[in-house]
Amino acid sequence: MRLLLITPDYPPATGGIQLLCARLAAHSRHCCEVVCIGAPAPLGVFLGGRARRAERAGVMATPRLRSQLASVAMLNATALARALALRPDAIVSGHIVASPAAVAAQRITGAPVIQMLHAEELGRRPALTRFATARAAASIAVSSHTRDLAISLGAPAQRLHVIHPGVDLPAAGAPPARQGLRPPTIITVARLTDRYKGFDVMLKAMPLIRARVRDARWLLVGEGPLRAELSQGAAALGIADALTFAGAVDDATRDRLLDEADVFAMPSRLLPGGEGGEGFGIVYLEAGAHRLPCVAGNVGGALDAVIDGRTGLLVDPTDHAAIAEAIVTLLTDRELARRLGEAGWRHAQSHSWQRMAGQIDDLIERLPAGRPHPR
Amino acid sequence: MAGAMVHRGPDDQGLCVDPHSGLSLSARRLSVIDLDRGHQPLHSEDGAVWAVLNGEIYNHASLRSQLERKGHRFASATDTEVLVHLYEEYGVELVHALEGMYAFAVWDRRRRELLLARDRFGEKPLFYTQLGDGHLAFASELTALRAGVGCALEIDPGSLDAFFVLGCVPGERTIFEGVRQLPPASILRWSMDVRERDVRSYWTMPRRPASRADSVSDLALEAGELLAASVRSRLAADVPVGVFLSGGLDSALVAALAAQQVSGRLRTFTVDYDTGAVGEARRARATAEQIGSDHSEVILSSGEISERVGMVMRALDQPNADPALIALHAVAQEARRTVTVAVGGEGADELFGGYPRYRWMRRADRAARLLPSGLAAAGAQVIASAVPGRAGKLAEVIRPLSLAQRQLEWVTGGRRQAREELYGPRMQHTLARDLVLEDVEGVLSACGRDGPVDALMALDRARYLPDDVLAKADRATMLVSLEMRTPYLSRELAELTAAIPTATHLRGGGKALLRQVARSLPALSGADRAKRAFAVPMAQWLRGPLLGALQEAADGPLVSDGWIDGAALRRRMQAHAMGSSDQSAILWPLLVMGLWMGAL
Repeated sequence: MRLLLITPDYPPATGGIQLLCARLAAHSRHCCEVVCIGAPAPLGVFLGGRARRAERAGVMATPRLRSQLASVAMLNATALARALALRPDAIVSGHIVASPAAVAAQRITGAPVIQMLHAEELGRRPALTRFATARAAASIAVSSHTRDLAISLGAPAQRLHVIHPGVDLPAAGAPPARQGLRPPTIITVARLTDRYKGFDVMLKAMPLIRARVRDARWLLVGEGPLRAELSQGAAALGIADALTFAGAVDDATRDRLLDEADVFAMPSRLLPGGEGGEGFGIVYLEAGAHRLPCVAGNVGGALDAVIDGRTGLLVDPTDHAAIAEAIVTLLTDRELARRLGEAGWRHAQSHSWQRMAGQIDDLIERLPAGRPHPR
Repeated sequence: MAGAMVHRGPDDQGLCVDPHSGLSLSARRLSVIDLDRGHQPLHSEDGAVWAVLNGEIYNHASLRSQLERKGHRFASATDTEVLVHLYEEYGVELVHALEGMYAFAVWDRRRRELLLARDRFGEKPLFYTQLGDGHLAFASELTALRAGVGCALEIDPGSLDAFFVLGCVPGERTIFEGVRQLPPASILRWSMDVRERDVRSYWTMPRRPASRADSVSDLALEAGELLAASVRSRLAADVPVGVFLSGGLDSALVAALAAQQVSGRLRTFTVDYDTGAVGEARRARATAEQIGSDHSEVILSSGEISERVGMVMRALDQPNADPALIALHAVAQEARRTVTVAVGGEGADELFGGYPRYRWMRRADRAARLLPSGLAAAGAQVIASAVPGRAGKLAEVIRPLSLAQRQLEWVTGGRRQAREELYGPRMQHTLARDLVLEDVEGVLSACGRDGPVDALMALDRARYLPDDVLAKADRATMLVSLEMRTPYLSRELAELTAAIPTATHLRGGGKALLRQVARSLPALSGADRAKRAFAVPMAQWLRGPLLGALQEAADGPLVSDGWIDGAALRRRMQAHAMGSSDQSAILWPLLVMGLWMGAL
């Protein structure tokens, strides 16, 4: 079978959606072509063609224009043309903004569309969510939270499936030694862009954590516009020395930092209105893969990614005192932290990307093919 | 000491004396949570930590459940006991866990150390003084402190000067020499052994970024949710709760959100006058009808105003000339008949950019950058003499002044210029320095990355809000043993407002976010909601019912002790009474000063 994956988000840009799409393309049993939005480029410069091959997949990158709408329109136009030329057996729409091209191609070629649903995009574009899920042969929600969100917006429940993303598992080796002379380290891995990831609440929790674990430090791995705000906020609270910004790092450095940390914390919350938030939270699985216990918010996709009391502690993500308490517990009760870390590692082992790609492949193979899906 | 504050807590009193150190803590209690078991001071299981609390910790229930999970045993359901156990866990850093309006003291018997702390915005007062032998005395009101220190406290002429200019005593100063007010968001540690105090701030508002990408409607959605959560937390009490309605946007929004959350009919209260012009009762009544509340109006009549003003001003621990204090006292007294706690709209203007002054100051700043100062000065003079009324404000805008001077010109109603004429021999030496200007310049220079409006909003949060608005709200309500709560002053909401550029706040006439939130509430749609407070007909009162009190003040210690020049005061009184000019901006603070001194 030939698959066409259409997505605005794809590496080298970083993020959960980008990673998921790349791993799907790489691990699918089928031959997968990708049309995505590429690097920034001036208007009119088209970097089309097979710009770059990523593993087994052929990747066609359309230019990232100054206007997001124009970038998405260009993506859809290119993807439709590509679908007509390629005549794939199935089309995966990696994001609802790619659904117009996917649905049009489905009507013309008869190839069924599988719509991927994450979280934040649904509440922002409810009409497009309804359109994409109503027209697609099947939709895949990355978590139960995303499924509930989609259904609440009118997505047809009978064609909606939950398939969790996966995680890159580090090479087998001895578990990292976490005791030593380093200060107790809380680590967060995320772009410093989205407020819902709870950096602000973590910052409020830090003075309380420091009151109990005197030399605790918070290591932020990732870059973004919130860095200045966090840095200034820490100074205002008198804990500037408790924050370390690692910036954007490569995967190997990130893995090393995860190995050196003691607790992974990212208390993501829902967006105002109760929508969005963490779709799943692949980073929680990544932390587990490095035997790190997690502290996460008890809402959204984290409910699927972290098992409360087994792989981490889920707390009210708006309650900084509760977050501090959970982190202090894991920093001071080393046996509990070790137990949760081990369970997190086992949880991660059962979430390989091959598993996810296999489940999606199975779903695609079960779909009726050869005719346009009825409206 | 506590006997001087019975009005703050009529329901209960308590005293704890540590025989080893000689330290004593005493408290009066207005019972709001766990009416039967909340006797203060409260202590830890082993008696090593004692606490007294004035105010409320709104997140006490979630803190309590965390502490219980860690094995702490509670003897009551009160927020004061949460302080005790939280201190055992976090020490002085416990302040970082608290959301609320509070002033509290924690005595650590083992370390022989006292911790005093005040909430982030200065809703609850806390005064202290260090005595000659290094001992520390502290209290929620100066009246109690005076009773406790055992020696007479002297009026500080510098503070009196600042009071006359600003209408309140600013910053850490108090009206008495040697007594200080703990600043908002600060803690004070005092060791019994060393007998030295250490004061430090534990929180400041985040610095405003130059821009924020979110749309106003996204931000309003977030602000609306935070405000609703804040209202919910401030409605929690074991006693009846009501809302003060002034007729403006801020209190209407709070009332509409509260009405959605109470099980029965919400009780709302407002004030009106028998003089005609100023009253907001009609608007408040319309809001009450829209949200379906059980509404009460109190009429503040000219016949009773003299008696009320005299009673309130004599009872104040330090003078406060915010005219709304009298109206708030009247409405609080009415509310106290049916509720013990009332919620109000204080703080919204300071956080969301509601004062028209901000927009005028921004215009002035732009004008200053465009016009050469000589030309601007001449232009201002011409406009001031030739253009009457509202358009004459243009003169204020283009007159070349520093931001601090312009701010003071705007808010002090000509009192700075009147000082020289009015001050008596005991105040003359204060003219040598402009303490108020120095203070304002100091605060302004430490903030304002996002232009003059950012700086002025920071100044208002640091001074006007705690020293005038919140002091007024606390005293006016506590005098009748009513607790006032302010949903706008939540940490989360405040930090959100600080992350938004001032230009966004001022869009569409100010308070852009709150207007947007109000538009999303069906109960408030379509109404005109310009800025309102509990405005009062002061000029009329000072020509009529308050003339006698003014006369009394002019015959009292205000003049006889040499603070104010009697002849100058009478000239102003006469000019006002004849109607030749409106002197109420000058006469009212002098009346407040005179009444307060008369009761010392």
